Amino acid sequence: MTSLPERLKQALVSAFKSLYTIMPMLFAIIGLIGLFQAAVTPQMLYSLFSGSPLQDTVIGTLIGGVSVGQPFLSYIIGGELLKEGVSLYAVSAFILAWVSIGFIQLPMEWAIFGRRFTLVRNLLSFIFALLIACATTVTLSLLL
Amino acid sequence: MNMEKKSKPKKRSGWIMLAITFIFYIVTAFSDPAIAESAFNKALHTLKMIAPILLLVFFLMALLNTFIKPKKIAQHLGKESGIKGWIAALGGGVLCHGPGYVWFPILNELRSHGVRDGLIVAFFYARAIKLPWLPVMIGYFGGAFTLVLSIYILLGAWLQGLITDKLTAKKRDSL
Repeated sequence: MTSLPERLKQALVSAFKSLYTIMPMLFAIIGLIGLFQAAVTPQMLYSLFSGSPLQDTVIGTLIGGVSVGQPFLSYIIGGELLKEGVSLYAVSAFILAWVSIGFIQLPMEWAIFGRRFTLVRNLLSFIFALLIACATTVTLSLLL
Repeated sequence: MNMEKKSKPKKRSGWIMLAITFIFYIVTAFSDPAIAESAFNKALHTLKMIAPILLLVFFLMALLNTFIKPKKIAQHLGKESGIKGWIAALGGGVLCHGPGYVWFPILNELRSHGVRDGLIVAFFYARAIKLPWLPVMIGYFGGAFTLVLSIYILLGAWLQGLITDKLTAKKRDSL
């Protein structure tokens, strides 16, 4: 049986190799996130909403899914969207998709977990962003 | 059994993505140097932000492989893990910090030790509850909205985990 220091050394080497393997993809994703944050302004995002609650909920999910950044940014943009008259359905879907779907990270997720896992997870996240946005808005309208 | 056996990250796809990103930056630098510079600075900021979490992930992976036997992991988070597994996945998702992609390597490591795909999916979705940012969410949308949304996120995470497990079982049956 191998000794503890030997096992630890092997584990450190293995962890380093795992991280080293994903480094190019990680740098690529971080680079893309930087480009997205610099090139896409909140005003561009506002302009994509149409005024129809149903359509806006799908648009909110898609925009949230491609957007990246700290979660509080989605709250600020979501708050502004509400003020602009965008429905709570769409805003809920937007802030939920922001943190649960990662279109920009798809290549990395695909490379690490494989195609099937990535597709199933992101498809479920998309569907549940729509469902939870609707459920939250309906529940609040019944409660308040 | 997982949807796919532990998928080894493909080395080439990472380098291809990095090359494509580099080309995007070159094109942007020629068309709008200010955006390219801002993008580079923002990317650097993101890198600085995730560096400590990456370090944590590195040591967690090493500790995991040193002290915890794959059998133990499979026992607690595998097929027969039951409610304990769900609590660990949902609680871990809510408590974990930083962007999701930073956690990909360690989750893949756990997956290779027998953790169910359903639990990994549930973990990812539970991450939508951002504990440190909850006060900000309450400030913008109110306590009722935050509470209702958080409950539905946990419920949604669990349901997605169940669906994923069913899909995994179907795949297994068809093999």
